[in-house]
Parts: sequence; structure tokens; C-alpha cells
Amino acid sequence: MSNGFYFLTCLYAIWAREFKRSLRESGQLMGAFSRPLIWVLVFGVGLTPYFRTGLRETSFLVPFTYVQFIFAAIVTLNLMYPAVQSAVSLIYDRQFGFFREIFASPAPRVAVFLGKLLGGASVAMFQGLLVLLLAPFVDVPMPWLVLLPMLGIALAFTALGLILAVRLSSFDSFGVFSNTLILPLFFLASSIFPMDPSLTVEQQQQIFPPWLVFLVRVNPLTYAIDVLRGTTIGYQQFDPLISQMVLWGATLVLVVWAYHEFRR
Amino acid sequence: MIKLEGLEHRYGETTALTCIDLEIPPGFFALLGPNGAGKTTLVGLLCTLIPLQRGRIVLGGYAVDRHPNQVRQLLGLVFQEPTLDERLTVYENLHFHALLYRVPAREIAYRIRQVLELVELVDWSNAPVHALSRGMKRRLEIGRAFLHRPKLLVLDEPTTGLDVQSRRHIWEYLHGLRQQGVSLLLTTHQLEEAEQANQVAILDQGRILAQGSPAELKERLGRPRVYLRLRDPMLAQHLMQRGGVLEGNEIRLEPPDPRAFLRDFLFRHSDQVEGMRVGLPSLEEIFLQLTGRALRG
Repeated sequence: MSNGFYFLTCLYAIWAREFKRSLRESGQLMGAFSRPLIWVLVFGVGLTPYFRTGLRETSFLVPFTYVQFIFAAIVTLNLMYPAVQSAVSLIYDRQFGFFREIFASPAPRVAVFLGKLLGGASVAMFQGLLVLLLAPFVDVPMPWLVLLPMLGIALAFTALGLILAVRLSSFDSFGVFSNTLILPLFFLASSIFPMDPSLTVEQQQQIFPPWLVFLVRVNPLTYAIDVLRGTTIGYQQFDPLISQMVLWGATLVLVVWAYHEFRR
Repeated sequence: MIKLEGLEHRYGETTALTCIDLEIPPGFFALLGPNGAGKTTLVGLLCTLIPLQRGRIVLGGYAVDRHPNQVRQLLGLVFQEPTLDERLTVYENLHFHALLYRVPAREIAYRIRQVLELVELVDWSNAPVHALSRGMKRRLEIGRAFLHRPKLLVLDEPTTGLDVQSRRHIWEYLHGLRQQGVSLLLTTHQLEEAEQANQVAILDQGRILAQGSPAELKERLGRPRVYLRLRDPMLAQHLMQRGGVLEGNEIRLEPPDPRAFLRDFLFRHSDQVEGMRVGLPSLEEIFLQLTGRALRG
């Protein structure tokens, strides 16, 4: 068996295991279905009437309904959760010994890492695509191009999950960590409220507290969601080029970092 | 088959292994030692899961630190704790293993069938692993370890925590594999398991205390013992004051020269003797003699 073929075989084995496991976890699948539904129905539909009234006296109008605005964020949420969750399986593997089956085998470490990364990202993409099924009902266009930023986000969060899983020893600390990290990251990404793009940073700081503006602007996820929003409803709050660069730059950094952690 | 030279391993301040020089021939080799003796560390080093600190291990002609992947391909491993994926089925666990160990694609199905027959789990092929009992999981792991036809099966306390039936079945499979020419390296603290090995090494506190076949060890390390069954309790009392130990209805003595002792004893007390025998100590007694009787944490 040639080495290249063997490499791909190992990668496939690890990837397939990751994917099969996620399909068998009914809790995860339930979450994958219910999470976006709740967001769209409750937040999206419920807040839509308040959205067009403008923000204080600036009366800035977003030319979309609230559901259309947060749709990209809901897709992102359904990518983040499974991506991080599947990376957790690494902690499981360590705790329950399966990682010895992998690491005592001749499988190349790079193939193992890529299998894990792509496995987690595939699970995330699968759950993200579920949200897209809702798109026609809320009038959000879905060009094929949307898959690219989705893939970037899925890879980035799987990598982040792997970093956490390598660093954390137990399962409990992971739960706490992922909640104190994922939710703030999500809410501080201009995901559920817009930042008026026509204003300068100084003007934004007049409307919002300066710390909030600061946190939103340093959060890489802000730009990732911005790209996703741009490809769906064609509305971007930041310079499209910068958003693309932040999305792919952050993804690359996280993947390289995760590989570095993984080799230890 | 395996050569260990000048092996040493530390965890921080604690020394886990020291001055290990050992040659393990093909066949059935048992590494015997109490808990915490360093057995698992030794196995970890052998199967490349723990990086080598000092010394050399050559396995099947490959140094473990230079050619880890060749070494890994030669080994079949069964660890103390289960290493199965509970959410996958029996078949899927085996299939995963086959892919990672370069089993040719057209042979995979046949070999899986073969090992399932060997460990009597054919009917469980599509069951998720979490539905299996402990003994069945262990059987599956033994089958899996053999799936890629390794030259050496390394078994780290494979029967710990299993009931008698499962243990017996597992030994049947292992003996079957031995007959197919697979070498076994077993770590255990169960003496009756080591008793069946061709070679035994006794490990304690990170050192090899003795090595040889079970018969050799008994002969070399155990002084012959004299067991006497006496009619007269007074005489028994007398012997016990002089170092005799009561074992059941017999008194055990370890005289420096058993022949002379017996000749002398019979000459004086032949009418008091109901029965007598001379024997070598069991492997268990040698083990206790070497490693001490104190309980370790």
C-alpha cells in the first residue's frame, strides 16, 4: 500500500468515525434541529416588528427584516456548537482510552489531526446546512457561495475546540469553558443587533457604550458573520475585504495553533 | 524478539524503571510484578506510547525510538482499560482498526469474520459496543489486536476484573494464537497465568529481580521444603518453636540440608510421622519472597 494512499485511508477512518458518532448522538441532533427553529421563530419573528423603528434618534434603518438580519448568525450558531462539541470527543477518547488505539497505531499523526479537524467541520457543516432549509421561509437567498464562509467558520471552531480539548484535562471544565467562551463570542459579534455602518467608530461609541463597540470590533467572529451576511442578503457592516481577511486569517491561525497543540 | 538495554524511566522525582536489561525470546513471556512495579510503564515504552528517556529497546530488529511505525505495525495491543469506541458497532471498531493497520481492502471483511469467529462474537457483529459485557469487550479487544496479524501480542493484565468463565475463554483464544506462531508478552500479577509461560521475569520497584522459566526460578530461588504430618502434638509444638510453620495439618520446614534433616528426623521419630513430603515452593512463594509481603499503596 503506497504511503499516500495509506495517509488518506487513515484520514478517512478518523473522519468517518467522527461523523458516525455524531449521527448516533440523538441529543446533538435534537439540538441541531431545535436551536435554529427557536431562534428563527422566537427571536426572529418576535423582534421583527421592533426592528424597523430605528435606533434612538439616529433613526438608522437596516433595509431588512430582523429575521433576515440574524439569519447568518443562526447559521453560525449551528456551526459553532457542533464544531466545538465534536472536538470534545478528544477528551472522551483520552478519558476512555480510545486514543491509545489511535496513537499506538502506525497512523501518521498529521492524518489523525486532519481527520479530526475535517470530521468536526463536516459534522458542523451538516448541522449548518440544516438551518439553510429554513432560508426560503424567511426570504433569505442562499447562493452556493455561502458554503465557503460556512466552511471557514466550521474549521475555525473545530480547531478552537481541539485546542481546548488538548489543554483541558476533564470534561466538566470543558463545559464551563465552552459556555463562557462561545456565548460571549457569539453575542459580541454584532450577531443579533446591528452596528450602524454609516457611522464612524466615534459616533458608534456615542450610541453604544465604548466597551461594547471595542469588543465587537476586536472579535474575529464579527467579521466572519459579516462575510456570511454579505453572501446571503448582500448587506455588510464592514469593509468586505477586511472581513474576508479576518475570517480566513483567524481560521488559518487557529488551525495551525491546533495542530501545534495536537502534536504534544 | 525484544531487547531492552539500560532502560531507565522517571516521572519527575519518582523512578519508575531502572537498570532494565532484558532479552525477551519469541514464545510466551510473562512479566510478573505487584501493582506499581513498573509493568505498565515498560509496556508503554515498548509500544511507543511513552517516549524513551534512557536506554534502548529493539523490537523485531527495529529500535522503537527510530522506527516507531514499523514497531507499531508488529504489535497487537490489549491494555488494562478498554480502548474501544463504545458508540460504534463491533464491526465498525474492527474495520477502523483494519484501516489504521494497513489491512488490504479486499481482505478486511474476511479477516473481521475470522477474528469474530475466534473470539465467538459473530452474532454481535452489528451490536454497538456499549451493549457488550465486560468479558465480551475484552474478547473483542483480543480479536482486534490480532486483526492485522502482529508478530507479538502485548497484553497488559488482560484478565483483570473478569469472571472465571471469561478468563478461561480468553486463555483458550490466547493458546490458540500461540499455536499459530504469535508471541505473547503478558504482564500480570496473577501467578497461575505466569506459571504457563515459557519465560518469566519478576519486576518490582522498577527492577528485574529474576528471570527464567518457571521451573528454573523455582529451582534456583526456592530452597526445597519439608512438609511433615505428625501424630504427636508435642513434637509439632517443638518444631514450630524452631522455625516450623503450620500449614493446614502439616508443618513446613526449610532446613539447610533437607536430606540430612530427614534422615536424622526419621531415625529419631519414625513412629511419630504420619506423612512427609519434600517440595519446591510455588511461583507465588518465590514471588512473595522476592517482592516482600508488605502491602503497597
